[in-house]
Amino acid sequence: MTDNETKAEAGAGLIQYSTENVVPFGPVHPALKEPEYFKLYLRGEKIVDVIPRIGYVHRGLEKAAEQRRWSQNTYLFERTCGICSFIHSLCYVQAVEGLTPYEVPRRALYIRLIVAELERIHSHLLWVGLLGHWAGFDTLFMWVWRDREIVLDLVEAIAGNRVHKSLVTITGVKKDIPEGMKSRIVERIKYLADRARFYKHIVDTESTLLARTRKVGNLKAETAQRLCAVGPLIRSTGIPRDVRADDPYAAYGEVPLDVVTRSEGDVHSLLQLRLDEIVASVKAIDYALEHMPGGPIRLKIPPAIPAGEYATHCEAPRGEIFYFARSSGGVSPDRVKVRTPTMANLPTAIELLKGLTMADVPVVLTAIDPCFGCMDRMSFVNLDSQKQWTWSGEELRQYGIRKYFPERKI
Amino acid sequence: MLSEVVEALVFPGFLFTLGLGFLFEWIERKIGAHMQGRIGPLVTGPHGILQPIADFLKLLYKEEIVPTFGDVTIYKIGPVLYFLAPILGMLFVPVMGTRAVATFDLDVLFVIFLLAFSALMVVILSFASESSYTIVASGRLVLQYVSYEIPLVIAVITAAVFSGALSLAGVVQTQSNVWNVVYMPFSFIVYIVALMAELEKPPFDIPSAKTEIVAGWLTEFSGRSLAFLKLTKEVSLIFGGGLAVALFLGGPLGPVPADPLLASVAYTVYFLAKLLAVGLLIFILRTAMARLMIAQVADLFWKILTPLALAQLAFVILLRGV
Repeated sequence: MTDNETKAEAGAGLIQYSTENVVPFGPVHPALKEPEYFKLYLRGEKIVDVIPRIGYVHRGLEKAAEQRRWSQNTYLFERTCGICSFIHSLCYVQAVEGLTPYEVPRRALYIRLIVAELERIHSHLLWVGLLGHWAGFDTLFMWVWRDREIVLDLVEAIAGNRVHKSLVTITGVKKDIPEGMKSRIVERIKYLADRARFYKHIVDTESTLLARTRKVGNLKAETAQRLCAVGPLIRSTGIPRDVRADDPYAAYGEVPLDVVTRSEGDVHSLLQLRLDEIVASVKAIDYALEHMPGGPIRLKIPPAIPAGEYATHCEAPRGEIFYFARSSGGVSPDRVKVRTPTMANLPTAIELLKGLTMADVPVVLTAIDPCFGCMDRMSFVNLDSQKQWTWSGEELRQYGIRKYFPERKI
Repeated sequence: MLSEVVEALVFPGFLFTLGLGFLFEWIERKIGAHMQGRIGPLVTGPHGILQPIADFLKLLYKEEIVPTFGDVTIYKIGPVLYFLAPILGMLFVPVMGTRAVATFDLDVLFVIFLLAFSALMVVILSFASESSYTIVASGRLVLQYVSYEIPLVIAVITAAVFSGALSLAGVVQTQSNVWNVVYMPFSFIVYIVALMAELEKPPFDIPSAKTEIVAGWLTEFSGRSLAFLKLTKEVSLIFGGGLAVALFLGGPLGPVPADPLLASVAYTVYFLAKLLAVGLLIFILRTAMARLMIAQVADLFWKILTPLALAQLAFVILLRGV
């Protein structure tokens, strides 16, 4: 950020903050594990305005999907996110299964639920630790991340990999949970539930952490709804919106599930909510393991997917993810569209930041559990005229040709 | 004359202080690591005890990048002045007996000045490097400074008032029977908390909060300057801790043998043991807390600790009057 740019913006009449200090938050910043740029206008310590600039990790996943086979894309979309990888591949697979006439075996649905819930525990623990780190409480970070190893080990035992599970496949899962593993899973996740209760005790009683999180970023239910917040963020305002309960997928319709809500809408309630959700997930996994039906775990299907369009959604640890798939009957998709929860939650976070102080930025910005790698898409804002627009696929293609092959006629 | 030069440069002066600084940094890192379920430094020296020295030497070798904007003269001279303050201050802290290396009748005031001087140097250094992060950090530094300085000075003055002396040697001598901390526990608490704020230990690491403003006022420093700034932070802990020992914990006093040489050794051991106790207290507190916000720090010091320190001062004045 140079002074000239600031002056140019001020001169354009859009932003008139001549006395404010412009502090860049990112794209490379210790609080952000992924590159994203937030231009903070500060008056003293107080935040007057925040302008996000997204797109630093745009990787062209959706375009890449069109050049691969349906089954290969399972692994591609798993890499949308490095944390909630399973739920992305699951949601993609559900979109593809919606185009096919096959019925997924029930045992596979249960295994999907178990791994998805393990992933939720892993993601929530990761976030609690990171919040501790961002609030300057490194001890919490170290403790929580040590416990997170337990769930990663469990996932490795089930799927063979710690992070990118590569477990789900179209019409099923690739690996079964053997009978002998069940008792070990139950024992370990019960321990995790105990730890989650212990951490809840810490976040409820540790006075410095309370001072940093309680009444910080008060989100109202109306604001959350107006800005289309999803996941824990909207549940923290008291609205029980959860795809797992509202529109059950996998085996969620058959497994009793507690939808945890809070009413305060601050960062502290998000902490409590996520720790409670860990306990709820443990209960769901326990039930699912006990009531898991027998039978096959996958079907053999031909590589071509019938023509059609299908949209589906899942509840990722961060909120609702949305997948749309269109097929023309070939072995590759025509189009796959992804909407990730960070994209939905970012406007809320920006709204919350205004009026808070610099010290709140890492805590509030990360309270939405941002995953910028999942989010980055093409959209444009002209700061001069405040006009916003997005490019269609065709426009994007033409831009690419213009940029890389300027001599070629379109 | 020669012995005084040796005292000032080697023991218990310059080199001794540096060595203690490195040692305490290692203790801090080890304790923090073990409390957090980690191992901590392990490779350099037995149990990694030489790691702080290795880190210091590594930084000395690194390239120093000087910002073209900002005040380059102050940027270059500042770290040296900042480094001198606690080194000089340590000469006034009694280690081997009731007498320190340097001493005069009003040295408590001079020590208070040195504490303030360190804080001022940090603000100046922060302004001199002039980036958006250091400017935010400067604001935080000044706010934090006006928060902790007054209770800190009141706590120091309470000890001086009780002893009826404005020299550290005098304050130490009056504690030969009962330590000051018995009469003024709140002053001791206020002093420790204010010291943590001065040293920017969590929960007061606000001016150098890495997840908010990168490295705070340290952001633009590299190479040698950074090495010395980091070392100064460690030495400041020794200076501040040594001051706490002298003011509240009876300095190096304790039962000693008659032989003067053995007595000096015993005094040094007592001093180190008490300093270690103060250090452990600070290290454990810092590991167990999250970072506060700057407004909350002002609240804590102005609404709770300053009245507490004043009440303790009033109590001590009454106690002496009776």
